[in-house]
Amino acid sequence: MISRRTLLGTSAVAAATLAAPSILHAQTKTLKITTWGGKWGEIMKATVLPAFEKEFKCTVSADQAFPYVPKLQASPKNDPLYDVLHTNSNEQWNCFTEGLVMNKITPKEAPNVADVYPWAVSDKIVGVAIFTSAIGLGFRTDKGLAKPTSWKDLADPKLAGARGSYIIPVNSLGQCHLMMLGKLYGKGLQDLDAAYKALEQLKPIKLVDFTGQMEKMLLSGEVSMGVIHDSGVYRYEGQNQPVDFASPSEGVMALEQVLNVTPGSKVKELAFAYIDYMLRPETQKLLAEGVWYSPANKKVKLDAKYDEKLLTTEAKVATLIQPDWKWYNARKEDIDARVTKILKG
Amino acid sequence: MAIASRPSPIAWLLAPALLLFVLFFVLPFGVMALMSFYSGNPATNSNAFLTTRHYERFVFDSAGIYHDALWATLRIGLITTIVSLLIGYPLAHWMARMQSRLGHALVLMAVIAPMLTGIVVRTFAWMTILQDKGVINTLLVDWGIVSKPLPLMYNEFGTVVALVHIYVPFMVLTLTGVIGRIDERLEQAARSLGAGRLRAFVEVTLPLSLPGILAGSLLVFALSISAYVTPSLMGGTDVLTLPMLIAQQVGTSFNPNFAGALGVVLLLVSLLIVIAYNRILARLSGEQGLA
Repeated sequence: MISRRTLLGTSAVAAATLAAPSILHAQTKTLKITTWGGKWGEIMKATVLPAFEKEFKCTVSADQAFPYVPKLQASPKNDPLYDVLHTNSNEQWNCFTEGLVMNKITPKEAPNVADVYPWAVSDKIVGVAIFTSAIGLGFRTDKGLAKPTSWKDLADPKLAGARGSYIIPVNSLGQCHLMMLGKLYGKGLQDLDAAYKALEQLKPIKLVDFTGQMEKMLLSGEVSMGVIHDSGVYRYEGQNQPVDFASPSEGVMALEQVLNVTPGSKVKELAFAYIDYMLRPETQKLLAEGVWYSPANKKVKLDAKYDEKLLTTEAKVATLIQPDWKWYNARKEDIDARVTKILKG
Repeated sequence: MAIASRPSPIAWLLAPALLLFVLFFVLPFGVMALMSFYSGNPATNSNAFLTTRHYERFVFDSAGIYHDALWATLRIGLITTIVSLLIGYPLAHWMARMQSRLGHALVLMAVIAPMLTGIVVRTFAWMTILQDKGVINTLLVDWGIVSKPLPLMYNEFGTVVALVHIYVPFMVLTLTGVIGRIDERLEQAARSLGAGRLRAFVEVTLPLSLPGILAGSLLVFALSISAYVTPSLMGGTDVLTLPMLIAQQVGTSFNPNFAGALGVVLLLVSLLIVIAYNRILARLSGEQGLA
């Protein structure tokens, strides 16, 4: 026969056992982040995030449904939808202007920031850049084209209708290309009049709204030469595709992957720890070799085939040109209207 | 008296639909309309103030692109609707008059089959067919019929082709039901009284099928003017519609307030067109309040 004491004791243990997972869950912090999909997302979900969760005894909720900024805009600043925002640099500047993200991430908050190249924390960056791609020219190797050496090669009359770039209002690579036209044919990246004039001269040109579409157009031969980031071409290495990437002599534009923390985050320490984790040499190597991104951490040693092509030395990094997104975003509406009219028809 | 004022139990069945309508149309539209009169998001930004500047921006159109975008949206919607009607009506008539059940089922499957594939996939399929190195241009160039690829894509033509392909099933399914309910004997009576096939169709079947034409056209028009993916992928820089501008304002310019104003403008203009269309068709059919 079960005594009352035994029954009460057993009940208490059973109740505690049943409640344990929910108590544990309540104590486990959740870090809300944004991250890309595709190969990057696969690596993050399979390796990077589980290891981070294990080490920091937390759960990570990763949003891969782009665009992130409108969602962050719609959430309260004191209880933001994300703790860590991962976007390209132009969007970080928009968020910073609206007070949605912090200004700088310093070594005090994330010690590995001390080891990054200067471009990753330059005055053109809010937050900290963890990787960059080089925006240059992708081209078909089976069309009898010489490897481009200058951005001006895209204007070659032979490429009429077979050159490609982006719908400028919706794509930052297109915006970078526009600024580069100002540098090539005018007084500098901010010479918009020269850029508009040069853009007019590039017609007929095929314009797409995202880089994946440009990759598809290059692979199908729909364009013979187009503006693209190096990783969008290098990822096809070993697949016997007749495409290659060229870094123009005038320099390559930076397409930075930037992390930043929202000021209203309730788990700021964890957010900084995540950024620090993403800057660790082993995390950087894994992702850099997985998706062909140039790492921000100077201490990363990539395998030879990646090291040869990516921006992994001070000399190579010096070819990077970082646009002033604060300046561009302030004029974006006017620029959008102007280029829409230029490129229509 | 008390019994008379009690709502019918059937009325309660409308509750879920009404709730959905309020939750997913009235409420979001109300928020969007409200946002369009603010400088920022009043829920997250205490400095946001009431303003009409977003509407002024559209009306005065100093950028010179918004009126063009509205006109392009309506033009693409109208052309898509007309072409869908021209393709869909004969098909729907044939299906409605088909005696064989098996034949009807097979044609119905053929009409519905494209709807089983996502819009993005279907649009990419059209890109593969219509682009410069696509199936059509490659064949035409290889056979020496044309020396350079025809401009089949990145323009309104390609956009309308893909939209018609996507929306024709909506027109056919709507029309089939209406035409199927028209008593065939009316047409036979007209013919027995001396009317030819064409006259019997024009004077009997066509007027009786006007409710179907109205419903199908409104459905296709509404879907076409609000389409985003297909015009974005097929239109290139030649096509700029209001939904594309709205997406641009939300997704890359991060200006949901102006996007809200564009949404309100699109809805109001569409409503005006729908009311006018309804009245014209009602007058043509000799009925009032056709739909």
